[in-house]
Amino acid sequence: MNKCTDSDIQELLPDLLHGALAEAEKARVDAHVATCESCQEDLDVLRTVKSAAVFAPSIDVDRVVRQIPPYRAIVPAVEAPARTRVASWLVAATVALFVVGGGSVLMTRQNSSGTSVKAPPIDSAAQVAITQPSAPSRVAVATPNPKIAEPASSHPHALALAAEADGLSDRGLVQLMNDMDTFDALPGSDPDPVISVDSGDSL
Amino acid sequence: MTPSPEGRPEETDMELIDRWKAGDSRAATRLVGRHSQALARFAASAGERDGIEELVQDTFVRAFASLDSFRGASTLRTWLFTIERRLMLDRRRAERRSRETVPVQEADHVSEYGALDSLIAEEAQERVRKSLDALSPTQREVFTLRVQQGLSYKEIAEVVGSTEGAARVHYHNAIQTVKEFLRDE
Repeated sequence: MNKCTDSDIQELLPDLLHGALAEAEKARVDAHVATCESCQEDLDVLRTVKSAAVFAPSIDVDRVVRQIPPYRAIVPAVEAPARTRVASWLVAATVALFVVGGGSVLMTRQNSSGTSVKAPPIDSAAQVAITQPSAPSRVAVATPNPKIAEPASSHPHALALAAEADGLSDRGLVQLMNDMDTFDALPGSDPDPVISVDSGDSL
Repeated sequence: MTPSPEGRPEETDMELIDRWKAGDSRAATRLVGRHSQALARFAASAGERDGIEELVQDTFVRAFASLDSFRGASTLRTWLFTIERRLMLDRRRAERRSRETVPVQEADHVSEYGALDSLIAEEAQERVRKSLDALSPTQREVFTLRVQQGLSYKEIAEVVGSTEGAARVHYHNAIQTVKEFLRDE
């Protein structure tokens, strides 16, 4: 028996079996099958396989339906905007922490050295630097002005607060880490352990 | 809309879904009645032997619980097949895990054989089952969905999470294997 080479017709045989072909297509497939032994054999196999599908147990429809819970429309999630608000507050709190913490560092530096603090060279144009020692609460937004962003080597204790930490260059990060290591306000070590005197009631 | 045996126009699946959402429990009965046997046949031909009714039930419970996510991009039956297939895969994974930890009891062999025995009534049908067993799991799914359920290659690709081209290749390979098996028997 010659093998059929018309794969288009072969693929349509299951549709022929299920009566899913349009009239014109059905006529074309029928005409081919009438002269093609290979497709006739395929069709016989498909009929056998299709008829063998009756083994499945019959399903008790009422029993299935009884297990289906009643419909409850899914209410559009109202938590999403709330989460956004919470996230916004978290971002704002983080920024405030950076500003206050950084300001404390700068104030400590200024009080101890009495020199003005200037920004180290940082790639980002958005820098915040405290430029007036007499008024530490005033914060000026610096522009990429070479007079303000002087090289860090001339001011070893300079500290800059980037508006976005990701914008810090490697050199800026190293500078920031060095400054944090020498930060006086941090505790030098963990608190001493407290030894409680057991009365003997426990255990 | 096709006419029902009583002459009334047959409601579409989407219309029945809307009715069920509006509180008409009879719509659920119509939907389950319309698709449950196809699901049972698919499970049986995919190699499931025990608990097919439970599997079909779980499929409907899950489907109805998430009907809001069904937009009608595919037919409801295709969507149900997809859910059922995932449940079958979960079940097989669980069985594989339990087989690794729990020794197989003699009673398990007996009950499985008994279930098989009750399903297979004629010799020709057993030959078909054996020929399907000779296929890979994916070939078997594609072949039975195409031949027994009449799904298109596009629908089959959706159910098995593949492409139309891959489904065609699986079908061609499967029919060659089945044909040779039945010829040699």
